[in-house]
Amino acid sequence: MNLDIALIASMTLMNRQLTHLAPIDILILALYFVLVIFIGFYVKGSTNTSEEFFLAGREMTAWIAGLSFVSANLGSLELMGWAGAAYQYGMLAMHWYWIGAIPAMLFLGVVMMPFYYISKTHSVPGYLQLRFGEGSRGLSAISFGFMTILMSGVNMYSMALVMKVVLGWNISFSIWVGAVTVAVYVMLGGLRSAIINEVLQFVLIWAGAALIPILGLVEAGGWVNLKAQIAQNVGSSDYTHLWTTLGHFRDNPMGVHWTGIVFGLGFVISFGYWTTDFLVVQRVLSANNLRAAKMAPIIGAAFKMAVPLIVIVPGLLALAVLKNPDGSILHLVGENAVNAQHPYSYNEVLPLMLIRYCGPGLLGLGITALIAGFMSGMAGNVSAFSTVWTYDIYGAFINKRASDKHYVSMGRWSTVVGMLISIGTAYLVANAASIMDYVQALFSFFIAPLFGTVVLGMLWKGATRAGGFWGLLAGTVSSIGMWLYTTYGGAAALSRIALSVDARPMAENLYRALWSWIICVVVTVAVSYCTEATPVAKLSGLVYGATTLPDDGAEGLWQKPTFWAVVVIVIFFILNIVFF
Amino acid sequence: MAEGTGRGEMLSIWFFVGGLTLLYGLVLLPYGAWEWLAHREAPTVLNQLHPTFWWGLLLTLFGGFYTVRFRPRTGDINKT
Repeated sequence: MNLDIALIASMTLMNRQLTHLAPIDILILALYFVLVIFIGFYVKGSTNTSEEFFLAGREMTAWIAGLSFVSANLGSLELMGWAGAAYQYGMLAMHWYWIGAIPAMLFLGVVMMPFYYISKTHSVPGYLQLRFGEGSRGLSAISFGFMTILMSGVNMYSMALVMKVVLGWNISFSIWVGAVTVAVYVMLGGLRSAIINEVLQFVLIWAGAALIPILGLVEAGGWVNLKAQIAQNVGSSDYTHLWTTLGHFRDNPMGVHWTGIVFGLGFVISFGYWTTDFLVVQRVLSANNLRAAKMAPIIGAAFKMAVPLIVIVPGLLALAVLKNPDGSILHLVGENAVNAQHPYSYNEVLPLMLIRYCGPGLLGLGITALIAGFMSGMAGNVSAFSTVWTYDIYGAFINKRASDKHYVSMGRWSTVVGMLISIGTAYLVANAASIMDYVQALFSFFIAPLFGTVVLGMLWKGATRAGGFWGLLAGTVSSIGMWLYTTYGGAAALSRIALSVDARPMAENLYRALWSWIICVVVTVAVSYCTEATPVAKLSGLVYGATTLPDDGAEGLWQKPTFWAVVVIVIFFILNIVFF
Repeated sequence: MAEGTGRGEMLSIWFFVGGLTLLYGLVLLPYGAWEWLAHREAPTVLNQLHPTFWWGLLLTLFGGFYTVRFRPRTGDINKT
């Protein structure tokens, strides 16, 4: 997450333009905007009820829900940030796409989705209300709403900065064009419109970016030659291994340890994000039946596993093929070291590689893909915000007995208002870059403990209402406390949280998430044992062991979600061994 | 039901996917052919491989297939 901050910070410091668009590029970009707006108007007629507006009528197929599930997460900021990280840290960046996503996505599909789906909840805070009561719902809804609206603004500002650096566009022009477009299609078509656009955006991201690794590998002479060139250029073969450098914090440039990657990232952060962040879970709730709801995250996981090809590989390729005009290796540097001699930072890897291989037409396609990625990030945030605001704040605490039509209307208005607040946030971010640190920190405060609360709620009958609320609160407060401690306590504090004097800030993120999850779980268990247990009859449909899970209708091995989950996890292990 | 849009709507989401990629293919393919035949390739690395032409052809085939396969047909409305 902090890589996003580095990306934005570096962009802020730059005051030049990498390239410009030809008329054919502008045509490609214009076609995209026209279609996106058309889709909003086209589906407006079928978003008249709240179920249709907020959950796309629960009639999406597994493939559509699955692609939308991945796409909502696949913002361009993430693409560009992790491509830069691959240049800086090598294949370690791959962990954020594989162990940091795949097991959690499969767990969501196979274990958790049945409970979200059969409880007929409209949102993750809605599930917490059913399981732990209004207090937990209110706490998670308010924190989620706050977080998503800020993230939407950050996305907006990031897009504007990328357009300024790459094409020289005015910041305000980019912010308003992106925001108005997303607001129009989400307001008109709700989640249905957002999902359709996200599937389009996913295809577009591949169409615009897949040429980079293809041509890059041709230029480098294949994967084996690429590895040899990287080893020669950086003086180490560590950049193309996933696990061999993780034996000690000081053995790798990230300053992390395998326990942090496996438990902090692979277990807490990843499971927290993919199974409890409503932004992504909402996409799966739109599935048209239980089997589709279980299959969607599994399909999403398969595609997520392929994304490093267009993100990590370009970063690695840059280590081998980017050269100065005199033929010497071009060294990209950290944002603080950009100067006349080293004019480009790590985070410009993806645009630099795009410009390297793509002339007019293809360049427009690549830029459209980047814009599509940003817009999918914005749409994901604003549609999730509108749902949680309407169902879990407005409908739960402000106006409980309004008509369905009123709630749809509230959904449309909250989309517009949410977008306007996001625009305000974007300008706030523009004037105070440090705010983004806090936004990223907010994200980590709520996700890790929320996973502890939700997973205990689903898997343990003994968790009580009071246990769920106090566990969530304790986990959140302790996460904030640790963040304050390491922010103001310097290296000593960091070494205590991350268990090593050689730990770097990335390790602190991983271990802080792990500690806050443990605190949440311990407090939930302790308080649950001290309070009156919830009768099992009230837990039906909400908790494993108190629920008879309905048949998902799968006939034969090929239709079983578990079978495909096993296929994906086997491929996941094979890839980790191949690139060990 | 038109897959991925809504009840009562004719157009499938896969039709949109096909339509957009086909449009892009139809823009890139002739432009790439002109670049190739007129020797007006942009000064990019590996431009001798004519990536605009080949990528345009791929998008045209992919988009064409999806557009035809998921084109709206009579009887799609309200089919569940």
